[in-house]
Amino acid sequence: MKLLLKTIFICITTLLFVACQSQKENKIKNELIYASTKDIRDINPHLYGGEMAAQNMVFESLVINTKNGIKPNLAKSWKISNNGKTYTFKLREDVKFSDGLIFDANVVKSNFDAILKNRVRHAWLELINEIISTKVIDKFTFELNLKNAYYPTLTELAMTRPFRFISTKCFKNNQTKNGVKCYVGTGPWILKEHKKNDYALFVRNNNYWNNKTKIEKIKWRVIPNHQSILLSLQKGEIDLIFGADGDMINSDAFSMLEKSNKVKTKLSNPIASRAILINTKREITKDLEVRKALEHAVNKQAIIKGILNNKETIANTLFSKTTPYCNIDLPIKNFNVNLAKKILDKDGWIINKDTNIREKDGKQLILKLYYNANNAQEKTISEYIQSNLKDIGIDLKIIGEEKQSFLDRQQNGNFDLQYSLSWGVPYDPQSYISSWRALSHGDYQAQLGLNKKEWLDKTISDILIETNKEKRANLYKEIFSYIHKEDVYIPISYSRTKVVYNPILKDVGFNLSQYEIPFEKMYFEKSK
Amino acid sequence: MSNFILKRILLIIPLLLGVTIVCFILVNINQSDPAEVTLRVNNITVTKEAIEETRKDLGLDKPLINQYLSWISNLIKGNFGISYESKKPVLNELSEAFPITLYLSIFSLFLIVFFGFIIGVLCALFENTLFDKIVRGIIFTTTAIPNFWLALLLIYTFAYYYNIFPSNGFEGLNSLVLPSITLAITYISTFVRIIRNSIIQTKNSLFMTYAKARGVSKYTLLKHQIRNAIAPFIVALNMSIPRLLAGTVIIENIFALPGLGRVCVHAIFVRDYPIIQSYVLFMALLFIIFNLIADIWIIKRDPRLRHFN
Repeated sequence: MKLLLKTIFICITTLLFVACQSQKENKIKNELIYASTKDIRDINPHLYGGEMAAQNMVFESLVINTKNGIKPNLAKSWKISNNGKTYTFKLREDVKFSDGLIFDANVVKSNFDAILKNRVRHAWLELINEIISTKVIDKFTFELNLKNAYYPTLTELAMTRPFRFISTKCFKNNQTKNGVKCYVGTGPWILKEHKKNDYALFVRNNNYWNNKTKIEKIKWRVIPNHQSILLSLQKGEIDLIFGADGDMINSDAFSMLEKSNKVKTKLSNPIASRAILINTKREITKDLEVRKALEHAVNKQAIIKGILNNKETIANTLFSKTTPYCNIDLPIKNFNVNLAKKILDKDGWIINKDTNIREKDGKQLILKLYYNANNAQEKTISEYIQSNLKDIGIDLKIIGEEKQSFLDRQQNGNFDLQYSLSWGVPYDPQSYISSWRALSHGDYQAQLGLNKKEWLDKTISDILIETNKEKRANLYKEIFSYIHKEDVYIPISYSRTKVVYNPILKDVGFNLSQYEIPFEKMYFEKSK
Repeated sequence: MSNFILKRILLIIPLLLGVTIVCFILVNINQSDPAEVTLRVNNITVTKEAIEETRKDLGLDKPLINQYLSWISNLIKGNFGISYESKKPVLNELSEAFPITLYLSIFSLFLIVFFGFIIGVLCALFENTLFDKIVRGIIFTTTAIPNFWLALLLIYTFAYYYNIFPSNGFEGLNSLVLPSITLAITYISTFVRIIRNSIIQTKNSLFMTYAKARGVSKYTLLKHQIRNAIAPFIVALNMSIPRLLAGTVIIENIFALPGLGRVCVHAIFVRDYPIIQSYVLFMALLFIIFNLIADIWIIKRDPRLRHFN
C-alpha cells in the first residue's frame, strides 16, 4: 500500500513539474507551421494518394500555369510543330535532383514512360490518351509526340500531377505505378521527415536552381479536429491554414477570424464552382420537370448570405463567366417557390395534405442528398436545401458520409443528389469536362440518363482536339447550353480559397490552382 | 487456487477464438470487397484483372474456412498481416502508435487513482457535509460532460487563454497533461462514487460497530474501512485500463496525438481491414487479460470466493 502511494506521489509530482514548465521562448522564426486535417500520405507525383500541396513543394513540371499564361519552368523554352502534334522542349541545364542526379532528357523520358505505363489510372486527363511517343533528342532536348493537336497540352503538363519529375533512383523496377522508394524531386523543398498522421518536415533545398526559399523549414502538422486547428492558430502554435471549400475552415469561423487582431485572413478570387449534382438516371430525378422545379426551389442568395457570409458569389451557371470559354449567356433560373410548385403540379406531383409531401402514382416525392460528413459547410448547406425543398413538398433526406463512402457512391451512381465542387482553374473547364467521360466520376453517372449523353461525350472529345479557337468556343457553348437546359447541376456559388495566417508571415498568396500553396514565396518578418 | 488460475487461463483460448471468428465474419460480411479496397487505397485502377490478381495475392480466392485458418496460423506466428494502405506490417503500424496511447493511459490512470481515491475517502469521511455535497454536485456535472466538449474547454482555458500547455500534438510529456485530464475526469467521478459508497457501507457494518465497542482507535478503524472498500475500487480500476486504452479515440483526434485511436479511425475510413481486425483483437485480448487479473486478485484476497469457485 505504501509503495503504491509512493509511486502515485512520484508520478503526480512529475506530472505537475512537467506541467509547470514554461513554454518555449520565442525565437526568430525560420520554421513555418502549417496545419491540415490531412496527412501528406504517399506523395508519389505520378499517383493520386498524396496531398497535392505537398507534391507541389517537392516535384516540379516542365512548364507552369500562371495568371499570364504558361511560363517556362524546368523547360526553358519549347517549340510546337506546325501541325500541333509535336512539342520539343529545351530543358534547363542547371537543374539537379536533391539526391544529386542531373535533370536531363533521359530523366524526363523515364518519368513520362513511367506515367504512361499507368495510362488507365490517368485516363481522366485527356493528354494521357493523346501521347503517342516520347523521345530524347539530345541530353537537354526532349520531344513529345501526340495523336492530335491537343490544345490544353501545356496546361495539363503544368498540373500538380501526374507530369512532375521524381529522381529515377526512386523508381521501383523502372516504374512508379506500384509505389516509389523515395520522394526526391527538383523542387524548392526536400521532404526530410514524415511521421504518419503526425507531421511532415520539409527543409529548404539549398541546391535549388531557382530562387531559394526565405523560410528554412515547413512543418506540416496533422490536426484532425477543426476546432483544435482554430484554437492553435489563435494561440500562435501554427502559422498558416489554407484551404478551399469548407474542409479546412468554414465561413463562420473565417468571419470570426477576420475580426481578430491575432491573425490575418485572405480570400482568393472566385475559383471553383459549388453545385448540387442531380442524377438523371434515377427514378424520380430522371424527370426533367422535377429537375427544373429543384432549380427554382433553392434559395442560393440566402445560402450565400446566411451560410457563406457573403464570402462567395452567386452561381447561375455551372462555371463562372471568367472561366475560359464560359462567357456564355444562359437563361438564369431564379429562386421562385411558386414557379417550382407550379412545375410540380403540372407534372402530376400533387401535395398530400396529411403528409405535406407530393405524390404521383402512389409514389412519394422523396429524394436523397449525400455530402461529405467531414465538411461542416456542406452539412449546413444541405440542411438549408432540405428546408427549401420542404417548402415545395419534397422530402429531402440528407445523408453525411465519411469521404470513402461518399466517393464509392460517386463511382456507382447510387444517389439522387450529391454535393459537387469543380476543380477550379487551371482544370476548369477542359480537364473537368474531360472527366465527365470517366465511369468513376459522379458527373458521368449523373449524366447517364440524358438523351444525348453519347453526343455529349463525343463533343467533349472533339473540343479537346479542336485546333480552331472559334470552333472550339462554339462547341463549348453547345455542351454548356445543353447541360444547363437539362438541369443536371444546381449551381450554388463560386467558391474561394481561404487563408488564415500569422501576421508576421508575409507574401501569403495563391497559386493559380486552388490545390497548391505557394510556401516558396512566403517569409517571416521579425516579430515585434 | 492454482487450479482456478489454470482454468481461467485455459478459458482465454475459446474466448479469443470467438473474437477471431467475430472479427473475421465482420470483415467478410462487409459490402466493400477487400481486393477492391486494396487497389483503391493504393490508387491502382480497379479493373477485373487487377481485382483477380489482388484476390490471389491476399489469398481471397481460397474458401472462407481456409482463409480463416491461414489468418489464425499467421496470428499464432505473430504475423498480423500487411496494411492495405501503407503496405507495412500491421504490427509495426500498431506498435509505432502504441506508446503514445500507453503514456496517455498511464498518466490518466494515475490521475484517476490519486484523485479518485483521495476525494472518495474525504467524501466518505465528511459524509453529508457541505464538502461532500459540493463534490457530489461536481461529480454529477463532470460525469455528464461529453469528452470532446471538455477537451475544447480545457484547450481554450489552459492552452489558449493562460498559455500553460500546448493545445495539440506530441512534443513532450507536457503535451499529455490536458488529454490525460480530459480522459481521467469522467473516470475520477465514477471512482469517487465507488470508494465513497464502499466506505460508507463498511462504516455501517457490524464488524465496525464491534471494533468501535472494543475501543479501537479512529486511525485503525479508518484503515479497516479503506481496506474493505478498496476491493471494488481495484476491480473497477482493472477493468478501466483496457477501457482507457480503447477510449482514447476522440481525445487523440482533438489533441492531434498520433496514437492507436487515430490509427484505428483512419483504418476505418480507408477500410484497412488488417489493421481494424488486429486492433479489435488486441483490445479484446486486453479486456480478457485485465478481467483475469481482477478475478485472480479478488479470489486471492477473499478465501470465501476461492471455496465457492
